[in-house]
Amino acid sequence: MPESATPTPSPPRRPPAWWPHFSSPLRSTALTARIGRLLGICFSICFVTGLLSRYQQHPWAWLPEPASPVWGYRVTQGIHVATGTATIPLLLVKLWSVYPNLFRWPTIRSLKHAAERFSVSVLVAASIVQLVTGFLNILNWYPWPWSFVSVHNFLAYVVIGSILLHIGIKLPDIKYGLQAKLGDGDVLTELPWQDNPDAHSNAGTLPPPPAAALTRRGLLITSGLGIGAVVATSIGQTVTPLEPIGLLAVRQPSKGPQRVPVNRTADQAKVIAAASAADWTLTVDGPRPYTLTLDQIEKLATTQDHLPINCVEGWSVGAQWRGIPLLEIVTRAGGDSDSHVRVRSLEKDGAYNNSAVEGPQVGRALLATHLNGERLDIDHGYPLRLIAPDRAGVLNTKWLTKIEVS
Amino acid sequence: MRTWRIILSVAGIVLAVFGAVGLIAGVPIGALAILALWMIGAVVIHDGIIAPVTVTIGWALTRTIPPRARRYVQAFLIGAGLVTIIAMPLILRRNTQPASKAILQQNYAGNLTVLLGIFAGLSLLAYAAHIAHDQHARTINGTSSGSQSG
Repeated sequence: MPESATPTPSPPRRPPAWWPHFSSPLRSTALTARIGRLLGICFSICFVTGLLSRYQQHPWAWLPEPASPVWGYRVTQGIHVATGTATIPLLLVKLWSVYPNLFRWPTIRSLKHAAERFSVSVLVAASIVQLVTGFLNILNWYPWPWSFVSVHNFLAYVVIGSILLHIGIKLPDIKYGLQAKLGDGDVLTELPWQDNPDAHSNAGTLPPPPAAALTRRGLLITSGLGIGAVVATSIGQTVTPLEPIGLLAVRQPSKGPQRVPVNRTADQAKVIAAASAADWTLTVDGPRPYTLTLDQIEKLATTQDHLPINCVEGWSVGAQWRGIPLLEIVTRAGGDSDSHVRVRSLEKDGAYNNSAVEGPQVGRALLATHLNGERLDIDHGYPLRLIAPDRAGVLNTKWLTKIEVS
Repeated sequence: MRTWRIILSVAGIVLAVFGAVGLIAGVPIGALAILALWMIGAVVIHDGIIAPVTVTIGWALTRTIPPRARRYVQAFLIGAGLVTIIAMPLILRRNTQPASKAILQQNYAGNLTVLLGIFAGLSLLAYAAHIAHDQHARTINGTSSGSQSG
C-alpha cells in the first residue's frame, strides 16, 4: 500500500521463518477499504441516532422534544438498534480482512508506528465492547457493574473519535483501496506493501493472482447475504409486517399483553397492590390543585389516538389508545400548553418513576386508560399511564399517581 | 490530502479524549477497571481465538476441498458464521424474562437451524448450477477440459 509515493525496494525486511504468513488472495486493501467505508457509515448512523436517543432523556430547556412526526423516535431508534446489530458481523469481516496487519513485520518501526498501532487497538477494543454491550442490553443482559447508559454514551465518543483518527492515518491507503478495482488490489499480507516484492503493484502491470475459489466480490456478496439475513430476521420487532419472519427477533410485539410488549412489569416495579387498589386517586398539583377518583377518570377517558410505543431497546409497535388529553388535566389545574408538567408513578424506586412533559408534547400527550380496545393491563400501567408521540417508551410513565403542573 | 489527514486526526483525538475523560470522571474506579478488562478481553478474544480459528478453517479448506466446490463451502461458512454469532446470545438468554415482556421467547436454536438449512440449500443449488454450467460448456466445446476451475 503506497504510504509513500516512491516504494523503497531496499533490502526486504523479511520476518523469521516461524512468523505467521498470510497468503489468501481474498485479502486486499481494495476489499478492506470497501468494507471499511460501509462500517464507517454504520458507526456514523449509530452515533447520530444514539445522540438523538440521548436527547430524549436530556433535552435542552430551550428546545424541548418535538411531538411530530409521531414516529420520529420509532424510526431513529429502530435504525440505531438494527444498524448496531448488523455492524457486529460487518466488523468481524472487516477485522478478518486486516488480520495480517497484527503480524506486521517489523512489529514496530518507529514511535509514530507504535502510536498508530495503539490507536488501532483502542479502536478495536472500544468498537467490540460498544457493539457487544449494546446487543446484550437489548437482551436485558447486564453482566457488568457499570451503568450501561453512561458507558454506552461516553464509549461512543471514543469509538467515533478513534474511527476519525483511523481514517486520518489510513487516508492514503483508503484512497488507493477505493480507486483500485476490487479484483486488482494488492494482496494484503503481514508485509507492508513497500517491502513485499510479490505485491501486485510492485510487479508492474501483471494481472493480479486469480482467486482459486471464492472471489473478493463473492466474499462481499456472501457477507452481505449473511448480514442481510440477520437484519431481515430481526427487524420484525420494529417493522411490524416483518414480525412473522423474525427468526432472530429479540421481541415479538404481538405476543405482549394487549399485543404490546412490556419492559418493566408491575411485579418488577412492586406496584401490584397500589395500582389495583379501588381507592386509587390521581393527585393534580398546580395553581388549582385537585384529585380525581378511578370513577371520574373512567368517565373523562373518551379521547382516542393511534400512537406507537417505541423502546430504547429497538422494538416498537403502533397501538390504539383511549384516555384523557394531558392538556385537559393541566388546564383544569390552572396551567396551559406552556406549562412544565411532571408525571409521577406509584413506583417507589427506579430512575424512570417520573418524567417531564414539556413544550409541544404537553398538547399531544394522552393519559391513557385503554390500550387496543381493552382496559389497560396492569403491566401496561393500570389504572393510568402516559403516552405521547415521538417519545422514548421508558419516558411514558406507567401507574400514574400524581401530575405536577408549574 | 495532508490537510484532511490532520483535520480528521485532530478531530478524532479530541472526540476520543472527550469520551475517555467522561468515562474516567463518570464511572466508579472499580467498574472502570472491569471496563478496561472487557476492552483488553475483547481484543484478546478476537485476535487470539475468533480470528485464528477462522484463518485455520480457511487454511484447512484450501488443503482439503478442490476449488470449484470450495467456493460454495466458503460461501456457506461465511453466511452461517455471521448469522450464528448473532444467534448464540439469543439461544443462551432464551426464556430468562417475564412472559409479558414478549422478549426472548422463541426457539432460537431451531430458528438458527432453519436459517443454516436455507444457506446450505442455496449453496448446494449454486454448486449444482456451476457443475451443470461446466458440463454444458464441455459439451459445446466438444472437449473434456471445458472447465478450468476443476
